[in-house]
Amino acid sequence: MITLAVQHAPPRVNTMWRSTGILALRELREAIASRWFLLYTIAFVALGLGVSYVSAAGTGSLGLSGFGRTTAGLINLVLLVVPLMALTAGAGTIASDRERGMLPYLLAQPINRFELLLGKFVGLSLALLACICLGLGGCAAILAWKGETTDPASLVWLAGLSFGLAVCMLSVGMLVSVLARKASVAVGTAVFLWLVLVFVTDLGLMAGALAFRLKIETLFFLCLGNPLQVFKMWTLHEAEASLDVLGPAGLYASDTYGGGLRWMFAGAMAAWTVLPLAAAGILFSRRSPV
Amino acid sequence: MRRLNAITAVSLLAAASAFGQAAGTIGRRIADARPGDTVVVPAGVHREHLRIDKPLKLVGEPGAILDGGQSGDIIDVTAPDVEIRGLTIRATGIDLDKENAAVRVSAARVRIEDNVFEDVLFGIDLKEAPDAIIRGNRIGGKDLDIARRGDGLRLWRSNAALIENNVIHDGRDAILWYSTGVVVRNNRSFRCRYGLHLMYSDSVTIEDNELSENSVGVYFMYSKDLTLRRNRLIRNRGPSGYGVGLKDTDSYRVEHNLFVGNRAGIYLDDSPFTHATRGEIRANTFGYNDVGVIFLPSARGNVVSGNNFIDNLEQVSVQGRGELRDTEFAANDRGNFWSDYVGYDLDNNGVGEFEHESQRLFENLLDREPKLRLLLFSPAQQAVEFVGRALPAIRPEPKFFDPAPLVRPVSEAGAPRNQAASAWGLALAGVGMLGVGAGVLALAVPIRIRHAAGASLAATATGGVS
Repeated sequence: MITLAVQHAPPRVNTMWRSTGILALRELREAIASRWFLLYTIAFVALGLGVSYVSAAGTGSLGLSGFGRTTAGLINLVLLVVPLMALTAGAGTIASDRERGMLPYLLAQPINRFELLLGKFVGLSLALLACICLGLGGCAAILAWKGETTDPASLVWLAGLSFGLAVCMLSVGMLVSVLARKASVAVGTAVFLWLVLVFVTDLGLMAGALAFRLKIETLFFLCLGNPLQVFKMWTLHEAEASLDVLGPAGLYASDTYGGGLRWMFAGAMAAWTVLPLAAAGILFSRRSPV
Repeated sequence: MRRLNAITAVSLLAAASAFGQAAGTIGRRIADARPGDTVVVPAGVHREHLRIDKPLKLVGEPGAILDGGQSGDIIDVTAPDVEIRGLTIRATGIDLDKENAAVRVSAARVRIEDNVFEDVLFGIDLKEAPDAIIRGNRIGGKDLDIARRGDGLRLWRSNAALIENNVIHDGRDAILWYSTGVVVRNNRSFRCRYGLHLMYSDSVTIEDNELSENSVGVYFMYSKDLTLRRNRLIRNRGPSGYGVGLKDTDSYRVEHNLFVGNRAGIYLDDSPFTHATRGEIRANTFGYNDVGVIFLPSARGNVVSGNNFIDNLEQVSVQGRGELRDTEFAANDRGNFWSDYVGYDLDNNGVGEFEHESQRLFENLLDREPKLRLLLFSPAQQAVEFVGRALPAIRPEPKFFDPAPLVRPVSEAGAPRNQAASAWGLALAGVGMLGVGAGVLALAVPIRIRHAAGASLAATATGGVS
């Protein structure tokens, strides 16, 4: 059926979207055929299943439910794995094409550079979406099988927001990729950025909060600057309806902004997606393909 | 048939006249009644404010409604041995200074049973009304800001009351002042400020109640000889939301209760107060609370044993300056079950071979700087814990230790269970997500293969036709 639809589609309905779509499919196919995707998917699925299995094992007999180790463990897992996956995937793409000499060939096609960048972005996003859905879907299946009573809606939110985080990090990764001369440098930079976003900023915030006696509202707004923290707070906001589980600063945020928090989080994530991607587009159009 | 019609007409007439002169009808019947009589309130809305000054029974027919018309109190009981049953009582005033109440009692042995209170500031207000029985009522507060609501139930110097099978919701507090020997059993309370609050009230038994979604479940202050057992305290999450709080309280047993999803399961402030007896906290289950048990350093002399601590974000917290002292986490060589215990049980006696102690660096930071909770669940938290484990130099002192941790959760018959929700929604979500993942993968199947598959399909189809 699909084949028929493709064959009978009128050609060049909208050339730009069409070429972007073709590039996206090519990128998706390439990503899925590549080892990184396989490796990350296997790792993500295995770790997710491990977290779900362990957290469901001990407590089933008491019939308890609540915000427990399951959701916390999955948030933790996503915070570790998804940014690494997305950053390295993004960083690898343009730089490796350039290194292999593919870039002049691609750009010789009747497409412009924005289309190329956007196509790659969409294709890799889809690959990441597949990875996240397989991982967290497997977790949900395991939890249901073990009789755990985690709220399904909060798990769907977790998956959706993980994808949001992946898209942010992919965008940053592609900026790195456009800037770097070699694929190895790009991936190395991406891993370094991952380290900074996952550990260094949070540890810095901790130290800063202790050393400078930061006010809770300052702490909250500083956290809004880190897409990983935004993902975490947003997931908790949707799963728990209040950030009070995050102590005084979370309570302050929920009491002060309430439903507006969702828009603040969405704004932060959108900024982390659009700005790096736009920067990558501008820089890419100025640089030599070789 | 004609006879039946006549009867209907007469009763309709009677009803009409009762409705026409509603104000004062029930009041006059009460005035006319002799002590010990039963006054029946017929079905319909009666806008009256009643005073009952002789022992009698006020019984509502189904559909009998006393309406206060949003002003003042509704029933004022000044004589002993009064019974109020089967009424719907609604719409008191909203004057907090005058403490507008649906039923105010200032005499002994009142029985208030099976009534529905709607839209009331104070529900039942007992003032020096000993030996009361309050059973099977449903008390709903006014839709006001919490500071402008009244107490669903208040006892003031009213000893030996029995409070049983009631539902109290959307009120301020249910509160006992200076009331000794009260039994509170099998009630339900939700969306209040304090589910139950004891001030200077001794020898109180609280059992089999469910207190959920209140700011605080049960708060004991300046009271002693208390038993709290088999209650369910669920999601009490006010700004200082405790399942159970104890302040300056003495001689208490807290056992077989279930604490789930509260900001803190139990909060202990300066309890036991006189140290004459040890506070007993045993066989409870603390699951998925932000903190299982909070000790202020002033709380000394508690025995915490045979409890389950399951996946509380922080199992035990010692807050404020100072250390936890004179607190035992085991009785008769049996401690508690800790979901984060990492030891093992070699001799198969149910008790782990190593003591359980909590030495977490990040938790230690949290106890000192609660605002850092904002960074909970992040990998940086694990990094800090890891550094704390790896470098003994910066490892905090253990805040408590359990010498005989249990390796399996205690699941006693007495402990109430939580209902298990269905896993179908979760299964559906899982299948849905797997479907999306598989769908994206299918997109990536090279077009050539799909072409081939389509072609072969077409070939078989045409082959079939020809």
